[in-house]
Amino acid sequence: MAEEMTMVEPGRGKRKFFKKQGHKKSSNKAKVMPPQHGQKKVKIDKKMKKLFRKRAREYNSDDEDEEATVPATSEPKGLASITNKRNDEDDTESEDGSEDEGAAGPQKTWNKNATDMNNHSSDDEGEDDNEIQPGITKFTEGCRAFKMAFKNIMQKSVPDDMLGPILSGQRKLVVDKLAEEEAESKVKGEAKKEKKMLAEKGHVKPATYLDSHEKFLISVATKGVVKLFNAVNKAQTAQKGLNPSRTKDAKEIRKRTKQAFFSELGKPSLPAIGTTTKAKESTDRVEDEQPAWAPLRDNYMLTSSRLKDWDKMPDKNVSDDMGKTSEDSSSDED
Amino acid sequence: MRKKKQGFRRPVIIKKPKQPQEQPSVDPITGKKIPKSFVFSRGKLPAPLKQLQMDLRKLMLPYTALSLREKKRNNLRDFLNVAGPMGVTHFFILSKTATSPYLRVATTPQGPTLTFKIHEYSLAADIARSQLHPRCPKDLFKSSALIVLSGFVSGDPPLQLTTNMFQNIFPTIDVKTVKLSTCQRIVLLNYNKDTKLIDFRHYSIRLQPVGVSRRIRKLVQSHQVPDLRNLLDVSNFVTKAGYGSESEADEEAATVTLSSDIGRVNRASTKSAVKLHEVGPRMTLQLVRIEKGLCSGEVLFSEYGKAGGKGKSDDEMQGEEDEEDQDGEHPEDSED
Repeated sequence: MAEEMTMVEPGRGKRKFFKKQGHKKSSNKAKVMPPQHGQKKVKIDKKMKKLFRKRAREYNSDDEDEEATVPATSEPKGLASITNKRNDEDDTESEDGSEDEGAAGPQKTWNKNATDMNNHSSDDEGEDDNEIQPGITKFTEGCRAFKMAFKNIMQKSVPDDMLGPILSGQRKLVVDKLAEEEAESKVKGEAKKEKKMLAEKGHVKPATYLDSHEKFLISVATKGVVKLFNAVNKAQTAQKGLNPSRTKDAKEIRKRTKQAFFSELGKPSLPAIGTTTKAKESTDRVEDEQPAWAPLRDNYMLTSSRLKDWDKMPDKNVSDDMGKTSEDSSSDED
Repeated sequence: MRKKKQGFRRPVIIKKPKQPQEQPSVDPITGKKIPKSFVFSRGKLPAPLKQLQMDLRKLMLPYTALSLREKKRNNLRDFLNVAGPMGVTHFFILSKTATSPYLRVATTPQGPTLTFKIHEYSLAADIARSQLHPRCPKDLFKSSALIVLSGFVSGDPPLQLTTNMFQNIFPTIDVKTVKLSTCQRIVLLNYNKDTKLIDFRHYSIRLQPVGVSRRIRKLVQSHQVPDLRNLLDVSNFVTKAGYGSESEADEEAATVTLSSDIGRVNRASTKSAVKLHEVGPRMTLQLVRIEKGLCSGEVLFSEYGKAGGKGKSDDEMQGEEDEEDQDGEHPEDSED
């Protein structure tokens, strides 16, 4: 099958090659070629044709070398043509190598016999074959090489390790590294704990309830605050008494002391004491009336105040409070 | 048309920037110097002690530097140089060793220096977290704290020096002119003879009227509208007795007659009950050493010193007492 494929392809190649040569070179060669082909067809069978073509391939390589030397001498100007021919030579060399590998011993003998008979015809056939074959051979070679390598690698059996695919020489090293890392982390953790302990030394979180000691401290502080506030109260009330005019210092001081006394006693004794204070106030005002006419007006005020007081006495506690406030205001005015 | 347009224009108001109020360095009434303080640390402090430093600064408000910053390169002399022109009279220095943290209280510029070992401390945040209803009114830190010393009755010279030091740290109170509304906080120092430990506490003072029913008191103190859904009439709210807890029972010893109005509830010449709420920080201190100079000089007292050293320090202490008497009448003025 492969041989048949090669048979078909060179035919096409031949036609193309002919056209190119016709354009560049003289037409004499073209004329000479056909009669030789006609002769072959008449004499030789199909089988013989195949053999002759195979033999011709080998001889084509030798002939090409000779041709290359001749054009160089004949046409020194054409540099491009020389380079093209050199490329062709390279291709032929690679093909020769592949053919040698594939071919058997007896084929070589046939090739040698064919050289004498078909030199001219073999030239054309060889050139066509050369152009087609290199691609095919390269592709097959690449595929084969890759396949072989891949199979070799896959056939290998790799042992299963917990540490994964590691070079055998480094297995111990990996284990040691892991152990060291664990040890280091432990040491660091302990160091952090120690730092925290040092930082938190003495730091105590208080209890949500008040124990006996705390209650004792609060009571001590409360006593201190009470003492201070009482002292402030006494001092400032005394100071208030001193503010008004000098003539009435004694009276107001006495009143302040009375009020303080009342506050100390407490609420229930207030109404009885209130009556006594009223009596004292009335006596003071009587003394004032005597010296001049103006005091007579004071008498009218006293009477009015008396009437108010008598009216409020039988009423409820609220009225009593009102009476107290009125007394305070009157004392301030005086 | 022009007039109408002109009328719509808004007047341009230029606001003058308010100048910061300067704190007086001398009490206007008594004419004495107001003590001021710096609270800072030496060496690197862990986070809880830094927070304790901030709490101490708050405690010393308003006469302290709340945002004082120190660098590693700063030494004690730098603070001394700054303290002079600013009128700072006391230093609180926090430091930490492997055994425990220490607090030094020093008088500028020449001492003496008291060194306390902090056995236990709790931060203000810890104490607030431990309370059901922590209290912190907005005006709490606008006036200085009062100080109460208890248990310092014994006549040991080191304790006397400690008492004088702490009394002079807080400004003196003139009983005749002070306003009770400025008395918002109190610092308590309680000395225990047996253990030789000093309990340091900080409370806020709250006054509530006596003789008023619980519902009315709550209504007046808080601005919330009460829930009247279950009541038929407003009078029921006043008449019905609310249940008070055992702790709210008024004690005769804790009641005070006020000479001036405090707040909206406590009026002059009416009785009010004194309630204390702990604000923190809380410390348990032990006096360890007394040095003559500012963190330097001769050691006058040492808890771990030798017998001979103690004898010498006693003699020198007597000398210092005489000097202190000559200096001023501070202990007499403060009646705490």
